[in-house]
Amino acid sequence: MNGKDPKSIGEIPLSRIRNFCIIAHIDHGKSTLADRLLERTGTVEIRRMKEQLLDAMDLERERGITIKAKAVSLHHWHNGELYELNLIDTPGHVDFQYEVSRSLTCCEGALLLVDAFQGVEAQTVANAYSAMDHNLKIIPVINKIDLNHARVDEVTTEMEQVLGIDPDDIVKCSGKAGIGIDELITAIIERIPAPSGETSGSLQAMVFDSHYDDYRGAITYVRLMSGEVKRGDKVRFYRAGVNYEVLELGQFVPERKPVDKLRAGEVGYLICNIKSLKDVRIGDTVVHANDTTVEPLEGYQPPKRMVYCGLYPSDGQDFSELRDALEKLSINDPSFEFAPETSEALGFGFRCGFLGLLHMEIIQQRLENECDIDLVQTAPNVTYEIVKRGGEVLEIHRPQEVPDSGEIEEFRQPIVRVNFVLPTEFIGVVMKLCQDRRGILRGNEYLSGTRALVSYDLPLAEVIYDLHDKLKSVTRGYGTMDYEIIGYENADLVRMDILVNGKRVDALSVICDRRDSDRRGRAVVKKLKEEIDRHMFEVAVQAAIGARVIARETVPAMRKNVTAKCYGGDITRKRKLWAKQREGKKRMKSIGSVDIPQKAFMAVLDTGADNK
Amino acid sequence: MHSDLNLLKTWGWNHHHTSPPIAAYVHIPFCRHRCGYCNFSLLANRDDLFERFLNGLATELSELQEPRPVQTLFLGGGTPSILPPPLMQQLLALLRHWLPLSKGGEWSIEANPLDIRADSLHLWKDLGINRISIGGQSFDPAKLKRLERDHSPDELDRAIEAARSVMDSVSLDLIFAAPDETPEIWHNDLVHAIHSGLNHLSTYGLTYEKGARFWGERARQIIKPVDEDTELEMYLDAIDTLSSHGFEHYEISNFAKPDQACRHNQAYWRGDSWWAFGPSAARYVGGVRSVNHRGTLEYLRRLETGCSPVIEREELTLDQQWRERFVFGMRQLRGVPWQSWQSHVPANVRESINQKIAEHIEHGWMHEIEDHVRLTRKGLVVSDSLWSEYLD
Repeated sequence: MNGKDPKSIGEIPLSRIRNFCIIAHIDHGKSTLADRLLERTGTVEIRRMKEQLLDAMDLERERGITIKAKAVSLHHWHNGELYELNLIDTPGHVDFQYEVSRSLTCCEGALLLVDAFQGVEAQTVANAYSAMDHNLKIIPVINKIDLNHARVDEVTTEMEQVLGIDPDDIVKCSGKAGIGIDELITAIIERIPAPSGETSGSLQAMVFDSHYDDYRGAITYVRLMSGEVKRGDKVRFYRAGVNYEVLELGQFVPERKPVDKLRAGEVGYLICNIKSLKDVRIGDTVVHANDTTVEPLEGYQPPKRMVYCGLYPSDGQDFSELRDALEKLSINDPSFEFAPETSEALGFGFRCGFLGLLHMEIIQQRLENECDIDLVQTAPNVTYEIVKRGGEVLEIHRPQEVPDSGEIEEFRQPIVRVNFVLPTEFIGVVMKLCQDRRGILRGNEYLSGTRALVSYDLPLAEVIYDLHDKLKSVTRGYGTMDYEIIGYENADLVRMDILVNGKRVDALSVICDRRDSDRRGRAVVKKLKEEIDRHMFEVAVQAAIGARVIARETVPAMRKNVTAKCYGGDITRKRKLWAKQREGKKRMKSIGSVDIPQKAFMAVLDTGADNK
Repeated sequence: MHSDLNLLKTWGWNHHHTSPPIAAYVHIPFCRHRCGYCNFSLLANRDDLFERFLNGLATELSELQEPRPVQTLFLGGGTPSILPPPLMQQLLALLRHWLPLSKGGEWSIEANPLDIRADSLHLWKDLGINRISIGGQSFDPAKLKRLERDHSPDELDRAIEAARSVMDSVSLDLIFAAPDETPEIWHNDLVHAIHSGLNHLSTYGLTYEKGARFWGERARQIIKPVDEDTELEMYLDAIDTLSSHGFEHYEISNFAKPDQACRHNQAYWRGDSWWAFGPSAARYVGGVRSVNHRGTLEYLRRLETGCSPVIEREELTLDQQWRERFVFGMRQLRGVPWQSWQSHVPANVRESINQKIAEHIEHGWMHEIEDHVRLTRKGLVVSDSLWSEYLD
């Protein structure tokens, strides 16, 4: 832009720095708006714009979700003075709540973006509250005002009612059409406070994101809370307890641009020749290695994996290939973890932990994209806690780890607070959905004449199975939901086992509420009966809790299977058919002499909810 | 005359290594109409194509380069009997030239009951045909209607009677498990057939084939197939009733009076080689399996333009040949002479088959009688579930 002097970067006083993020529901236009800001401040020339620059990964583009936070420094002249506006992008999904909270800590303000047609959604509410909790200055923005069916007045009311927004504060814009962008930039500069922080104090830099570069190793994203850091400094990653030398530091403009130093209040990156992202923990504090008195910043939490599932190569030969692929993924994403496990039914595989269900889907999709291994996935389960008699607390990541019921004092499961935003006509069906899943109503308020916010506390296990799909189907796509973990609660949980011809299939065990066990047991054995082909002998499929069988189905023996006609022309055809059957059989998992197709291992997800 | 086509080579013929096939199949792809259960390669109501077809067939046969004597010849379809006398004469003359029947040979024709008359029978017999396979399917009027057959029970009776008076050997095809069929209807069909003086019977459980109209009607639930237990009951009734009336159950679907088994079909199950001609015809020559295009018009177009009508060709390895020979040989009730084969079978194939045989004997699905391995009755009815384990 006019007269922007690269040398001036780094000399901009703290009073002219603004650190902010954009919080929005999926699809409300965050990425487009960010692109427009980059373009309007001259950070990126129009012809260089790839659409939606900040969503760099293909996968994110594909899903329309910003998965990983990114940061970019914009430089803008305002009233004759050069300002540095650091936009910290936040992931828009609940699985990455902790990452969002760390990003928010790095900002003084937030743009609260709401679609002029869609209005306030569940995620908007969750993120807005979160930003308010972090004492951020909120700039409410209504986006897509150029849409024909925009309902700006109603959306204004919703924002006022639910979020306590002053209608006069709302900036109305269209990222797509470029309307109201200058006003928005002015609002950022004039309303969001400059960062505070002592350049002269001890270095405290918050790690809010990272990514792995094949040539440079870990790129660490930091916001300096106090002090300053220069190239060549010896630094310590406080929680990880590892020391490194800063080889390069700089800002994203949006490509990496090295600078000599970063100061309190600024946002940038560090390159320290770190070979694995395992040492770069979100929320960690970077300090000077020789500073023995400095305290780490508050709010650090190790990544908490809430969802686990087993991943097995369908061909046992691919085990080491799968291990290599998982290792590669975990280098890029330390919040994903995996450990080898064996299953009698599935052989050698891995227990994998994810932040949530979306995170699990993303990792699986990457696995599929990046390596050619046919996978068998076991039904996902949440992380349970068991207090044994005697007080020992176990974290349970798979049903097989559940001890005998006699040893269990308390069996706890994670509970989440789920916020639904939906048209009022669907309140009844959504309440039924939640009550069927043992939800406890926590709130029900009208956002406007036609839309409501309903809150329930629900077991996470119920949420991950199918709640989102069910919500979409009962509300014809209009309902949205968001949830946060609120803690663990004791519950009447049991491990339900599945037996095939009397033999327990470990990979089919699930943990469920005792009151649901009969229904689920029946549903699962029924589903398995459909999935298991008839054999030359009868196959009994049973669900059991401990030694008590609660449901049984029988796959009858094949009675007649013989081709009537087999003459000249049939021989090749038959041989090919039978050879194909043989291939199919090889890919099935054999329990005793019963062949179980891979699809059956997801059958335990059938909750039987439709047959209540 | 040598053509550029050189189909003989495509078919797998090899002067040095191959003993010539002594069986031949010829497919005549015409019917008056298509029955709902049929997905065979045929054209209904296309008399206009008969002559053109015979010319195409002549071209294909001429690829034999010289007459190749055979011991069995099978005219199938379709309905070969549909050809009017002059064209039939032309066809049979063509075959007598290229595929002369050795002395004592078996020459079968598939025939619709409506085509079986004294005059046609005499014509066929005079030109060398000595065995007739009648597409009768049932003696029950309602069942015939359900199967969309174009003849009545009386017409079938008269056809059998006429055939018996002229031909050495008369066979009848019967279908069981037609929609709505009861075990009683089927039993009556069996008894009727037994008393018709036939010396060969083929019984086929109705199958629903992709490409047949019944397939879609079943999917749309217009047709409700007979349940599996009833179909099994009918199959076992056929075995028991026919066996107790002098018919030997010699192949899964075939029954014959002593020495009346179809020699041609046995060649398939024994793993012998055979020639084949006509659309969709499949042959096995010199360890090579090849199949012609199943569209009659495309088959003709190719031959008329000097192109090969073969669309699939597969050269079997020695291992595959033995595995096939075992599996298809086991369709014969007497089983296969496994003990005497062993020394010829490559060691790895021998071991894996031996292991499976032991396992299946253990389950009671097979047993050994002298040097033969054969299916038990228990194994017979589910035998298709066994074969995938013998193939590679």
